[in-house]
Amino acid sequence: MASVEEVKRRHEASLMKIRGVVGVGIGRKDGKDCIRVYVAKDTPKVMSAVPKDLEDVPIEIVVSGPFKAL
Amino acid sequence: MKPEEAKPICECTLLGLEREGMTPAVHPDVVGVGIGYKRIRGFASQDLALKVYVRQKVHPLLVKDGRAIPDEVEGVPTDVEEAGEFSIWRPIPPIYQRKVRPAMGGISIGHYAISAGTLGCLVTSGGEKFILSNNHVLANENRGAEGDPILQPGRFDGGKTDKDVLARLDTFVALDPDGTNIADAAIAQPFDERDVSPDILGIGKLRGSKDASLDEKVMKGGRTTRVTRGTVVDVSATVRVGYATGSFVFTDQMIIKGERSSFSAGGDSGSAIVSYDGRALGLLFAGSPFYTIANKMDNVQKALDVKVA
Repeated sequence: MASVEEVKRRHEASLMKIRGVVGVGIGRKDGKDCIRVYVAKDTPKVMSAVPKDLEDVPIEIVVSGPFKAL
Repeated sequence: MKPEEAKPICECTLLGLEREGMTPAVHPDVVGVGIGYKRIRGFASQDLALKVYVRQKVHPLLVKDGRAIPDEVEGVPTDVEEAGEFSIWRPIPPIYQRKVRPAMGGISIGHYAISAGTLGCLVTSGGEKFILSNNHVLANENRGAEGDPILQPGRFDGGKTDKDVLARLDTFVALDPDGTNIADAAIAQPFDERDVSPDILGIGKLRGSKDASLDEKVMKGGRTTRVTRGTVVDVSATVRVGYATGSFVFTDQMIIKGERSSFSAGGDSGSAIVSYDGRALGLLFAGSPFYTIANKMDNVQKALDVKVA
């Protein structure tokens, strides 16, 4: 099975293209590594556009708000 | 007479407030009148008294003629207390936003044209000492030029180009609007190495650097939110970050969540992310209301060819 890092690398560009997605990372969910997708706002549009999993790696959507230089 | 009834009389004769049938007078030593328990030799008694607050309390024998406060007013005892001068509260800015020499990590700094950011820590390159912070703090988002004055405190905190210049901009990692970035970093060289210290305010000396791990507890010292603690929640993030000049994509970033409230706010940019065993893990540069993003210190050191001092 492909590692979470590899799966993330393969799909990162397309995930970042989804409107409202501000980041893609790796986190832990229920003790297992998962791909985290950071969104600016939890609009129904972005929530449905982000897949539930990719190549058997679960995706966790995190509402982070937009990222700005501080 | 009750203290409440005697108080207006005092307010008229000592503070100069208007009162029917009386001539107002201002006592030059009195700054306030109130009601409280009479204090005898420093101890509060059970008896209510008219409190007369004076600038400076002096021995009864040294009180100037005609300036003595009466022992009682309409049968209510008085109690003279030294209160100094009452003034509106003008807060002194915290040390994080003031001029500090030697300058250390965690305090206000900035390119002369920006508002203010944070001095991260000292780094060395070729045996010389440099100040590490962000490109957008020391190099004004690619617009700075080598030799530009770096102010401590930053301009927003009152830093002036004629007396608060600490260092000169040396080099920065250029921000690329089209490709991906790994560091928002720059270094500046202090004019006098004795003007900088390897300490981080509120944290102490760094003991080198290392890579952060997931779920690791970290802290930082910054110009705005000072020392805060948080947890690393992501060590392989790709993020899009909004800047004054546009948005930039960063890869291989770490994301931190604050322990209680926010881990960072505007002005904390440039802070070093420090592990609980005192090692530099990252360079804070961006955030959302809930998360903070930092470059990995290893990437910063490689990009600028420096080592954490």
